[in-house]
Amino acid sequence: MRRMSVFPQHGTALGLTANEIRQEVENNTSELVSDLVNLSARARFQAIRSLPMSFNERKTIRNRVNSVKLSKTMLPADCRQQVSRSFRRFRANLASARQRLVVWQYTLKEIGGRFGTSVLSYFLFLKWLLKFNLFSLLINFCFITIPQIVHAPNVSNATGFRGLELLTGVGYFNQTVLFYGGYNGEVIVSTPAYNMQLAYFFTIAAYLMLCGVSLLYSMSRSFQNNFVLETGPVSGGAWRLLCSWDFSVVNEKAIQYNKNNLGIQLKESLSERLQEKNKMSLSDRIKRLSLHLLAWLLSLGLALGSGAGIYFLGIKLTFSFDHDPNDLKAEASTLLLPVVVSLINLIVPLLYSLISKMESYSNPRAQIYISIMRNVILKMSLLGILCFYWLNDVPSSISCWESFVGQSVYRLLIIDFIFCLLGIFFGEFLRNVIGTMWIQSLGVPEFDIARNVLDLIYAQTLAWIGIYYSPLLPVMQVLKLFIIFYLKKVSLSMNCQPPKHTGRAAQIQTVFIALLFFPSFVGTLAMVSFTVWRLRPSDQCGPFQGLNTPFYAIFNWIDSIQGSSFWVCWIFENVLRSELFYYLITLIVLVITFFLWQITQGRKELIKTLREQIANEGKDKAFLLNKLQTIQKQRREMTSYRPQDFDQTPHFNPNWMNTLPLDM
Amino acid sequence: MGNKQTIFTSQQLDAYQDCTYFTRKEILRLFHRYRDLAPQLVPLDYTNQPEVRLPYELIGSMPELKDNPFRQRIAEVFSEDGEGNMTLDDFLDMFSVLSEMAPRDLKAYYAFKIYDFNNDDFICKSDLEKTLNKLTRNELTEDEVRMVCEKVIDEADLDNDGRLSLEDFQHMIVRAPDFLR
Repeated sequence: MRRMSVFPQHGTALGLTANEIRQEVENNTSELVSDLVNLSARARFQAIRSLPMSFNERKTIRNRVNSVKLSKTMLPADCRQQVSRSFRRFRANLASARQRLVVWQYTLKEIGGRFGTSVLSYFLFLKWLLKFNLFSLLINFCFITIPQIVHAPNVSNATGFRGLELLTGVGYFNQTVLFYGGYNGEVIVSTPAYNMQLAYFFTIAAYLMLCGVSLLYSMSRSFQNNFVLETGPVSGGAWRLLCSWDFSVVNEKAIQYNKNNLGIQLKESLSERLQEKNKMSLSDRIKRLSLHLLAWLLSLGLALGSGAGIYFLGIKLTFSFDHDPNDLKAEASTLLLPVVVSLINLIVPLLYSLISKMESYSNPRAQIYISIMRNVILKMSLLGILCFYWLNDVPSSISCWESFVGQSVYRLLIIDFIFCLLGIFFGEFLRNVIGTMWIQSLGVPEFDIARNVLDLIYAQTLAWIGIYYSPLLPVMQVLKLFIIFYLKKVSLSMNCQPPKHTGRAAQIQTVFIALLFFPSFVGTLAMVSFTVWRLRPSDQCGPFQGLNTPFYAIFNWIDSIQGSSFWVCWIFENVLRSELFYYLITLIVLVITFFLWQITQGRKELIKTLREQIANEGKDKAFLLNKLQTIQKQRREMTSYRPQDFDQTPHFNPNWMNTLPLDM
Repeated sequence: MGNKQTIFTSQQLDAYQDCTYFTRKEILRLFHRYRDLAPQLVPLDYTNQPEVRLPYELIGSMPELKDNPFRQRIAEVFSEDGEGNMTLDDFLDMFSVLSEMAPRDLKAYYAFKIYDFNNDDFICKSDLEKTLNKLTRNELTEDEVRMVCEKVIDEADLDNDGRLSLEDFQHMIVRAPDFLR
């Protein structure tokens, strides 16, 4: 980077007169100024701001750049200044307005100051999810719900409001716009006509597509920032000492706590280093391997077992499903399945952490990643089996099955929320009271970032799954995230302490975004597209009643515009419906991936070579300096015979002494 | 607004905005923070750029810094006289670099300066020992301190000259994305 060239460079200052140095600095500065002038306005100010100099030097450079810039424009002088100034003011105002729009900025800062960056990343993740849900709420409400309410309000409520509906979603809510069944697929007669079927289809499709794009984008950004140059051995000593101090922490207690942790971690890494030297024997290794194998078998067995249990429970409950809307007991019994699911979600991870304690990993990072993996497998097997049940068994046995699925998802979300609240109360509050009052050895509970983020991912997956069956489900999710944000914040400051092993927060964040994309979003996409392409919609309710599959709405639409717009039909027939097109796309993507992978490999090789080169040059330097030193010594021995020269200043710059590879 | 405008001329404010990561409002707020540290020393009129320096004792007592183990180094690095006594410009500069808008490269440059206790443009063993003492509560033995420092240099020193240059430091930071976020 050019801006490095304006540093006062000590090495080159040798043997140069003050005048020459000034000349050099001036040259560098004017070069920098001419570089800056050629940038665009925004990039220019960013570059000026990030110059590593004191404020006054920066201001001088900025003034020079501005004067050069102004002399280049065509307008008369005072007009020019006026225009540029008002333009700048406008931009500054825009920036400050944008800042005010950032929600929770102060709160987030406070959290970062008290608990450090790793805990902050949980809250940032939550805020990011909230944005997704707000967006989907907005478009679903505008394009699906409002037309439906305005056109044909469904007010055929058989039952009054009793309160239990808030938990179960049936009864009063059954025919409302909350669920799929509350919509009908009529074409609303207006100019131009509003086709509800198409609106429903395209809104959901557009939302899922935008989610996918935004996930891919943030995943690649995060990956680029956090993983790309992660090569070579990083065992953590250097990183821990020089990079792990969290400058955002300003709370006194937190600082003491961080200091403590850092000391412990450094000690641990030292002892690890000593341990590495004495290798394990073969029998020890076999013992450890079999222990890992056993742990994996146990955790997979637990996941599969709970999945199977959920499936049979679901089937049993469907067959005993009572259709009498006034039967409160039957309604309450629908809550059994979500409660069991949430219980499994609560208890099995605890068992997992017991298992991983038994395993005793030496590397804390490996332990964190393995426990994340197991929990993801558990959650995804639960959701997978539920989806299978909804798509395989429910459509054939229940008349308005989409609404039933929507209600099930709604119940799962609500019960999950209640369990989350209970978890905050019992898991954090009571645990804190017990830990501080009665059993001192337990101590204050740690805030487990991985578990909390996985809970968020699970809830978000549910919300995505439900979006087709219950377009207003994002309302619940938004409310839930909002409440959780504040409760977690309060609970954190009252009950918890920040985690001891923070690990590398940035990398773990990338992993979380990737998890949100891969099993969670892709799974949802698969499920919704299967519903749209393959399943017969229910005949009595919903926008797609009477069609073979919901996708037939598109066929009908294409047929109806056959005459008017030829191109749309052509694209539909020859691109979207032909297998060849998808083969080609897949092929192209694979080829591009292969090329990019090759490029990455090449760069890795290059980095390795360059690193070796640097090391070699360092050796060269050391060698040359050694030689220089011996020559210097010889000369000094020679001159020591002439005492009149001896007390003169040395011939080399004192700075050079520092570069000698000696212990000083 | 009319009242506040008299603190700075609009040219001054423009310059501050162009050279720091702050908006006009934030600059005024920071000015008041600065002034509140010593209302009797700092005038309310900065249009003729008075030469005011607040001593380090006042700067270091701000809530943002007062518990930070590096507070003295931070103040020294950002002050023009190198002793932690700050003018308003230094003060704004410090907050600009420490703000979340500043890019990682800039922060890395200043972090390097902060860790370089003896100002020789290299982080050597004595600097590392000082850093270690500031970051822990003296629970490590002398031997352990020496081992940690050796390990750090061993890991991060690319050109084998026994100490860390700015380039070594930046290279290490690229590999440790958590740095100073």
